[in-house]
Amino acid sequence: MPFTAKSGKFNAKINTVEVGTGDKAIKLGGENVFPFYTFDDAIENAPKVGIEITDGGMEAEPDCVQKLYEGCTTVVDMAKKAVTFDGVDFLSIRLEGGDPNGKNKSTEELIQIVRDVADAVNVPLVVCGCKNVEKDAELLDKAAAALEGKNAVILAAKEENYKTIGASAGLAYKQVVGAESAVDINLAKQLNVLLTQLGVDSKTIVMNAGTAAVGYGFDYVISTLDRVKAAALSQGDTTLQMPIITPVASETWTVKESTATEEDMPAWGNLEERGIDMEVETAAAVLAAGSDAVILKHPESVRAIKTMISELI
Amino acid sequence: MTLFDVIFKGNDAVYGLTEQAIDNAIAQYGEDKPVAFPDTAYSLPCYYAVTGTKVGNLGDLKTALGVVKTLMTRNPRMNDAFMSGVATALCAEFIEVLKYIDGAAPYSEPCYGHLADAVIRELGVPLVTGDIPGVAVILGAAPTAEEGVALVKSYQAQGILVTLVGGIIDQCEELGYKTGANVRVIPLGKDVTAVIHVVSVAIRAALIFGNITPGDAAGLMKYTMERVPAFVNAFAPLDEVIVAAGAGAIALGFPVITNEETFRVPKSLIVQKDVSKFNATSLEARDIKLKITDIDIPVAFASAFEGEIIRRGDMQVEFDGSRVDCFELVHNKELSEVEDHKIEVIGPDLDEFEVGSKHSIGYIVEVAGKSMQADFEPVFERKFHSYLNCIEGLMHTGQRDMIRIRVSKDTFNAGFRLKHIGEVLYAKVKSEFAAVVDKCQVKVITDPEMCTKLRHELAIPMFDKRDERLTTLTDEGVDVYYSCIMCQAFSPSHVCVVTPERLGLCGAVSWLDAKATNELDPQGPCQVITKEKVIDERIGEYEDVNEAVRKFSQGALEDVSLYSIIEKPMTSCGCFECICGIEPLSNGVCIANREYAGMTPIGMTFSELASMTGGGVQTPGFMGHGKHFISSKKFMKAEGGIARIVWMPKDLKDQVADRLNESAKELYGIDNFVDMIADETVVTEDPEALLAFLTEKGHPALEMEPMM
Repeated sequence: MPFTAKSGKFNAKINTVEVGTGDKAIKLGGENVFPFYTFDDAIENAPKVGIEITDGGMEAEPDCVQKLYEGCTTVVDMAKKAVTFDGVDFLSIRLEGGDPNGKNKSTEELIQIVRDVADAVNVPLVVCGCKNVEKDAELLDKAAAALEGKNAVILAAKEENYKTIGASAGLAYKQVVGAESAVDINLAKQLNVLLTQLGVDSKTIVMNAGTAAVGYGFDYVISTLDRVKAAALSQGDTTLQMPIITPVASETWTVKESTATEEDMPAWGNLEERGIDMEVETAAAVLAAGSDAVILKHPESVRAIKTMISELI
Repeated sequence: MTLFDVIFKGNDAVYGLTEQAIDNAIAQYGEDKPVAFPDTAYSLPCYYAVTGTKVGNLGDLKTALGVVKTLMTRNPRMNDAFMSGVATALCAEFIEVLKYIDGAAPYSEPCYGHLADAVIRELGVPLVTGDIPGVAVILGAAPTAEEGVALVKSYQAQGILVTLVGGIIDQCEELGYKTGANVRVIPLGKDVTAVIHVVSVAIRAALIFGNITPGDAAGLMKYTMERVPAFVNAFAPLDEVIVAAGAGAIALGFPVITNEETFRVPKSLIVQKDVSKFNATSLEARDIKLKITDIDIPVAFASAFEGEIIRRGDMQVEFDGSRVDCFELVHNKELSEVEDHKIEVIGPDLDEFEVGSKHSIGYIVEVAGKSMQADFEPVFERKFHSYLNCIEGLMHTGQRDMIRIRVSKDTFNAGFRLKHIGEVLYAKVKSEFAAVVDKCQVKVITDPEMCTKLRHELAIPMFDKRDERLTTLTDEGVDVYYSCIMCQAFSPSHVCVVTPERLGLCGAVSWLDAKATNELDPQGPCQVITKEKVIDERIGEYEDVNEAVRKFSQGALEDVSLYSIIEKPMTSCGCFECICGIEPLSNGVCIANREYAGMTPIGMTFSELASMTGGGVQTPGFMGHGKHFISSKKFMKAEGGIARIVWMPKDLKDQVADRLNESAKELYGIDNFVDMIADETVVTEDPEALLAFLTEKGHPALEMEPMM
């Protein structure tokens, strides 16, 4: 009996969300098949890869990353350099210095950095907060205002501050609203519903459904992404059809595999390779589980993931 | 003259002025002269939003006036009055825009006039989040400058954005009261037409934040009505023009409160003679709820203090419900019966008691709200324990009329008094249940006679009534059930279907709890499930329930029954209080509770049973459930009900005995059914011994049809 392949394409599809403006604009999502299932149907928009810098500039980076930005002194220098690395689709600026429990930099200072970076590059932008919900409400509100007209991703609104960030980024300044929830499909869905009820157009929402480094409760991340994609496609759940963007670098570069020195852990081998490996493994897995974009730090990781994507699509 | 006549007359007067002003301007500048407000992308925002047409020059303005004229119909009906109000507002916009001709700057300190789009984007975000809870438009001069400023100040203290038009601006200046956008008190202008600048804010907010299409007048009015919490305070005397403009405000959903004796329109045109009550009347009329950010007490309030024990030696005073009359109560009242944030202490306060003495206390939290239901009372009340324990140096145990409270010496010395108990209860109930509680007041009673009287005449009858409501609630008696997916974070495919006679398997979510959760958090874990399409009455299977289960389990579950343990039993997450499983030899079921560590006649311990039952899978023959479900008439009803229970740990038997005996008597006419059920003191694991025990007792399960 001849084998007849059955197509696994769905009637439902993930929303297509455009980020950025002009020639460099990118499209996230749009697929109607499971991740990389190009044998079921064509995937119009391949997953995208972003590179991340922070307001901390050079000194906030691990040595191996600093090496690649040699000659840069300011955050703006780094931004200009970052977008020249192979395979970079977008730039992410993480404002971690805003954390009241950390450096507690003022909103004005950080927003000035955002403005300067936005002026220096022409790729699509993602602005990430400092993970403190109150500060993020203020910081990302102002970032949305500062980037008016850039169609940037504001990452992210959470359950505690979605009203401020949703109203500012989604309604007042028409940016793309990132919706972040902690590894739970129901919370992801609830936040999407709440944002939509606030008046944010569901076609301008992207999700960060939770993230972790491989080996750090990562199985929950994968099963959540799996279930979100399954509900979005096989059940046609419109409240989960937002593309997923996953910040990877901010998770993987802080775990011990990426930070323990070679002196302390001689058996683990080269530190830079370990850091890249952690980043690449995590990114590859979240892409395979349904993420439509990943944010990485090491240019070598960007190149590796970009190669993987182009080989598969 | 009727209200209609006044509005029409005012509208005609403004129209006349506008027509004349436009004609004069055309005569002076010609039809091609551009007209625009500065810094807005919305042309003439109000006219554009209502009609969808932009106005560019004086000629367009003249045409627009013709369109406005078509709104000015003159039938004595509400709609005509509203439309004339809108027409008046649009005329005001035209008059105001003429002031800006040739890039003029018609407004100077302290007045703002037209507000730029950027200001609206900035103010819009806190308006959407509720950080600015409302927008007050104060029009005219208050009876005295002091009263006017006091009113402005009262709104400002609540975070409400205040806009001023007319005489009130002079009154603020007279008393040197600071105004400006940075302090959220914005003087617009001294002519009444300047009021359009705040209307323009509301309307542009609808365009920017509400995605309202220009020209969609109905959508616009719906948005401003539902989402822009503005209201008007108009001081006497009111002339026809103000009344006509007020009709426009009302058309947008903004109530007008005035101290002039004039026509009254319920919820829209409200007469409040006492200016000091304008604030409260306005907030109630516009349904504005203020966010409570901190609790005004002299000690700390945090969950860190929840487990704090206060020993006798550290204790200033004690209230003990086991010795004297005490109670705590939430009482649902009519809106008119409750004065928000009123805290009353009746009887002696803490500083009038001897150190270490014991007293009566009763506290009644009276709540009112349009969506409040008496069914929520116990849900709020159950939280009191946690609220009061969060107070540093205060210990609370028990509930209802069996409470005990101790206040520590340190806390007393820090200035803590009985009114602070009221403050805490007020703040927590008001903030956590904001969705249903509009107003809240608290009475703290220590007068011993009054405590005794209220305990017996108010509290106990209410508790009894609630208990009766719970026992009389049946699955057949309600129209909907609720889903609960609180546990899906770790049991992804599990869905509880909560019914009056089958509470959640964790034992913590009754049908009333689920209902309250749904009302308080409509997007939350408890959703309404209808029960209209019965598939099989016997096992409790419904098409709607199946659909819901499919949806909430993301397709992992196809169908469930509510009353069977064999056919499509409900799944379990892992939080179950009890597990029941089939014991084949006796043709019955054994139930083990989580606390029971020993063996059961099924040959498995609780944890072994749990590994088979949990994880959101259907395991026919095994089922997780709450303790209260054991005495339910719906307990495995499809297989014959509670008569199937042959074994339970002794502790569990003791806990459920009374109610289980009652149900057995009612269902089968059996007395003392619990005595027929074996426990670990009779048999732990030998099914033969169990059978012998049951035979000796004449247990009904032995006579029943085989289950499998």
